[in-house]
Parts: sequence; C-alpha cells; structure tokens
Amino acid sequence: MASVGRDWGSKTLAGALLGLSLALACSALFARLAGGIAPPIRAQLTMWMVMPIWLSVLGATYFFESGKRAWLWLALANVVAAGLLAAARMT
Amino acid sequence: MRSELVRIYKVVHTWTGILSGMALFIAFYAGAITLFKQPLVHWATPPASASAIPLAQTPTLIQRTLASHPEATRSFELDVRGDAAHALEWTRHEPHADEHDALSVRHFMATLEADGTVRSREVPRSHLGELIDVLHRVVGLPVDSDANRYLMGVVASLYFMALFSGFVVLLPSMLKDLFAFRVGPNLKRMWLDAHNIVGLGSFPFHVVIALTATVFAFHDAIYAAQDMLVHDGKLGALLRGDAAPPEKQPLDPAKLLAPDQLVARITAVAPDLELTTLRYMRVTGPSPTVFAFGHNPRALEFRALGGVIMIDPYSGRIQNTAYVPGQQGVPETVLTSAFALHFGSFGGAPVKWLYFVLGLLGAWLVYSGNLLWIESRGRKLKPHVAGGALPEQRRGVRLMAAATVGVCLGAVCGISLTIVCAKWLHGHVGDLNAWHRGVYYAAFFAAIAWSFLRGGARAAVELLRVAAGLTMAIPLTSLVAALAPSLGMWTHTEPAALAVDGIASIIAFGLLRVARATAKRVYEGRLDSVWSAPRATSSEAPDAATQAMP
Repeated sequence: MASVGRDWGSKTLAGALLGLSLALACSALFARLAGGIAPPIRAQLTMWMVMPIWLSVLGATYFFESGKRAWLWLALANVVAAGLLAAARMT
Repeated sequence: MRSELVRIYKVVHTWTGILSGMALFIAFYAGAITLFKQPLVHWATPPASASAIPLAQTPTLIQRTLASHPEATRSFELDVRGDAAHALEWTRHEPHADEHDALSVRHFMATLEADGTVRSREVPRSHLGELIDVLHRVVGLPVDSDANRYLMGVVASLYFMALFSGFVVLLPSMLKDLFAFRVGPNLKRMWLDAHNIVGLGSFPFHVVIALTATVFAFHDAIYAAQDMLVHDGKLGALLRGDAAPPEKQPLDPAKLLAPDQLVARITAVAPDLELTTLRYMRVTGPSPTVFAFGHNPRALEFRALGGVIMIDPYSGRIQNTAYVPGQQGVPETVLTSAFALHFGSFGGAPVKWLYFVLGLLGAWLVYSGNLLWIESRGRKLKPHVAGGALPEQRRGVRLMAAATVGVCLGAVCGISLTIVCAKWLHGHVGDLNAWHRGVYYAAFFAAIAWSFLRGGARAAVELLRVAAGLTMAIPLTSLVAALAPSLGMWTHTEPAALAVDGIASIIAFGLLRVARATAKRVYEGRLDSVWSAPRATSSEAPDAATQAMP
C-alpha cells in the first residue's frame, strides 16, 4: 500500500475550494428537491447546510493518499453534483 | 486506522487547535456566562419602580406614546408578563452602527402615570450582559461588526477542524483509552487523558457549537452567494414567504387592536406559549406585524428569548406559526434545533445549567490543549547528555506559555472586574457602559503584559489569585451593598440574582484551588519545564539535578 502523502497545501486547497463548490451544489440540489417545505424554512435550511458539508469535506480531505487524488475525487464529486443539479432543473 | 493517517491528523489537530485556542477560551468563558445574561443584567441594574398597569389600559399608552414619539412606530415592545404591562420600550440605533452592534443602541421607555399622562425618558440600560455576549460572539473583540464576525467564523472553522482531527486521532485507541485516566507521576499523560475524556465526553456539544458558530458568522455571505447561484435573486421574497402585498396608505395606529385582544387570539392558537413580550414592527406600514415572544419550557425554542408567533395588529390574523415551540413540523423543528442547540434554549433551567458546565469545560478543554502543546515542546533534563545542567526552554514555548496564561486569565479577570464595577461605579461615572468596556480591556491587556513580563509560570499563579479575588468581589460587593446602604449600591434578593453571587463564589474558590496547585507546581515541581520558577534561595541551585529526577 502506498504511503499517505502529506501534501498540506494541495489537499487543504482542494478541500477548501472544491468543498465549498460541492457544498453550494448540494444546497442548490436541496433547494430544488425539497419543494414540499415552506419557502422561508427551505431557504434557511439551504443556507444552514453549506458550512457542515464544506467543513466536513475540508476535514476529510487529509484522508486522500495525495493532493492529486484529493483534487481528482473532489472534482468528480462536483461534476456528479452539478450533473444531478442540471437533471433536477430539467424536470 | 493506519498510523500514518493518525500522524497526519495529529498535525492538523495541533495546529488548528493552537491557532484557535485562546480565542476559543474567551468565547467559551464569556458564552457560558451569556447563558445567564438576564439574571446578570438584573444583578447589575439598580431596582427600578415602574408600576404595572393592567393590559386593558395599554392602548392609551400606545396611542399617546406613538403620537408624541413617531420614531417608535418603526418598532416598539410591550412587556406583557402575567396580564400586566410595565412600560412601552423602543430603541434608537446610531446611524452608522452595524445592525448586529447592540452596544450602540439607545433605549427609551414610556410609562402611563396615575393621572393618565404618559411619561417618556431615555433609560440608561446596562450593557454589561451585552458586552460579555459580544466578547463571546467575536472572540474577545469589542464590536460585533462584519469583519470581526468573519474572524470569529475562521476561528470556529479551525475549531471544527480541531474537533474532526481530534476525533480521528482518538478513533483507533478509543476503546482502549476512552476511560483510561492514568493518575501518576507522568503529569502530561494525565492531562492528555483528561483532555481526551472531556473532549470526547462533550464531543456532540462541541460539534454543534462549532458548526452553528460558523453559520452565525458567515450567514450573510452564504445567503448572498445563494441568492445569486441558487435562488435566482429571489431570496428576499422566499424568506418573506407569501406575505400580503404592502399597503400603499400609511396605517392609522388608532385602529390597532388592543393588546389584550391580540393576546387572546394568540392564546387560542398557541395555548402553551407563556407570552413575555409583544414586539410591534412598522405599525404605520408597510406590512405591520407583531412578534409575540413567549416560552414553552417543554419544547425547542428558536431564540434565547423563546419561541415566536406573528400576528397582524390591525386584523388579528395570525401570520406565522412556524416558530411556535411545540407546534412545529419536521423542517421547522430541524431549523429550530440548530438555534436551540447553540443557545441551550430547550428543556428549561436544567439544560441552561448543563450548557453552563459544558461551556466552562470547553474553556478548560482549549486551555489544556494549549498546555499540552507547550508541554510536548518543553526541553527535558538529560543528565547523561548535558552533564546535569538544566536545559533552557525554547523561546517560542516560553512566549506561548505567557500568551496562554495572559489571554485566558486576563479574560477571566476582566469579566469579573467589569461585573463588580456595575455596582461600585454606578452613579459615580457619567457613561457607565463605556467604563464597562474600558475596565474589561484595561484588565485584559494588563494581565497579558504582566504575563509576558513575569513569564507564564509566575504569572499563572499571580493572575489566578487576582482572578479569584476579583471573582470573589462579586458576592462581596453584594454583601457590602446590603450591609452599608449608604454607599448607594443595591442587593437583589431574588433567587436568580443570588445565584449570580453564589456561582461567582464557587468559581472564585475553584480559581483559588487551581492557584494553590499551580503555585506548588511552579515553586516546587520539576525544574526542567517552562512551568518552573522556584523562589530564588542560595541552597537550591545544587539540588536542581536531584530534584528534577522523576
């Protein structure tokens, strides 16, 4: 098994940037799909979910074997979230 | 868990912890006190004699006050505890102040006198509770501004990262070490065990506090970003809900429903809500509303003020029941939980006390974290290597020890001193609220300066004694006030006010015990540590090496 690289800058940046975009995409997805919730409550919950998702991604980013992998996997997660969002917007 | 991951997360834990530690100490200590903001402000406020008037007479008070003080139409409050009102109150924000900056707000009140006239005046409101709350909200800074809130957000984010990484570090050894508390000669091991027990034991509390704190700090920015990216610029309309379109004509306050009618309609919809305050908003339009605050200790409450129900003061139509405690759907309950879990506004007094203890433990947690950082960077005596000479401690470690002691104990000293000043300075100084702030920061910075001057070890003992003395001065002041009424001070005898004195005594004795233990360590403990500063005597030097042996 390859050893886990430290890659502090690369991993931290991946978690901070791609974590934020992922969190915003997830919140947009929630705002789309949770139509049954009253708009004022929905808008607030949409806001509330950003920080927990963002910081959890940032916290977990050091589990990746390398900074490169962190960027790759998180970019993939962003693409998936963006795809789901686009699909939700079309329906 | 692979050990290299544990090592990586240990680094994350160390550096996020040390960067946020001192700021978090202030946030925790001031936050624990903020849980009892109301009793504390009551303790600090001289008895006032506002005679209660029956709720039925309040329309007169409202009409006459609004006629003579049009600025109150923006927003005013009526205290409606127990079917009687005391006064109509309103505030005026300084024009350039931040909307969150409660310290620059001026308070006014109007009362209905026995002869039917309305008497209005500015009330000097004690900002003591607000000052401590602001210290809590913006990591010890004086003003709750955007920039300071963002700084708090960064600190809270680091705090979450420290929690996340601390949890990862403990995971592999959790079952083995969870309840291990190894009392023994290895003091560092014992502190580490205690740090882990407290950290893991209150882990859910800390996760909730950290995440909610980041949201409180960044909510404006996140809303702004989502308004563009998610809501297509319609966020304002979404948050307002399907409110009726605003009226074109200014409304006539003479047609307001009487407060007792509003109370009756609210009680019909929310029978378990014990109303405390009616907050009228925009009574001349557009979109007039009354926020009716109240408590239901058996349910989750949105704010420290309690739950809220909104009612139209002209038609009596209930406008919003989303935040009525005990009557919420699942999404509303989830949202309210986020607030209630930060403020401890559920479960009544027992939860407030639990949060108080957890908050103080949180302060201890970050303090002990700093001590462990310092301890693991200390240079130990190596008799065979250095020929028994005491190693000199690293400069960075010495400075961090002094900073930790100065900042943490400085905050404790400053808060206690500024509380005491509420009584001693009342009536003797012009602007007591400015004094509250000035006294706090004077003590805070003096403690930091003292700590760097004397070194962390000596300063720890001395500042702990000062902190114990200043905290003990809180109940002693009440005692002096009761024994010598000629001094012009006061002593409230309600249980909540006496509890302030009681808790201060307990904390003072606690600080004194810590001071005693610290003195023993500093003056008599191992010499090869940044925490050693033996009293200089001629006979001591030759014994240094032998004393230092474990």
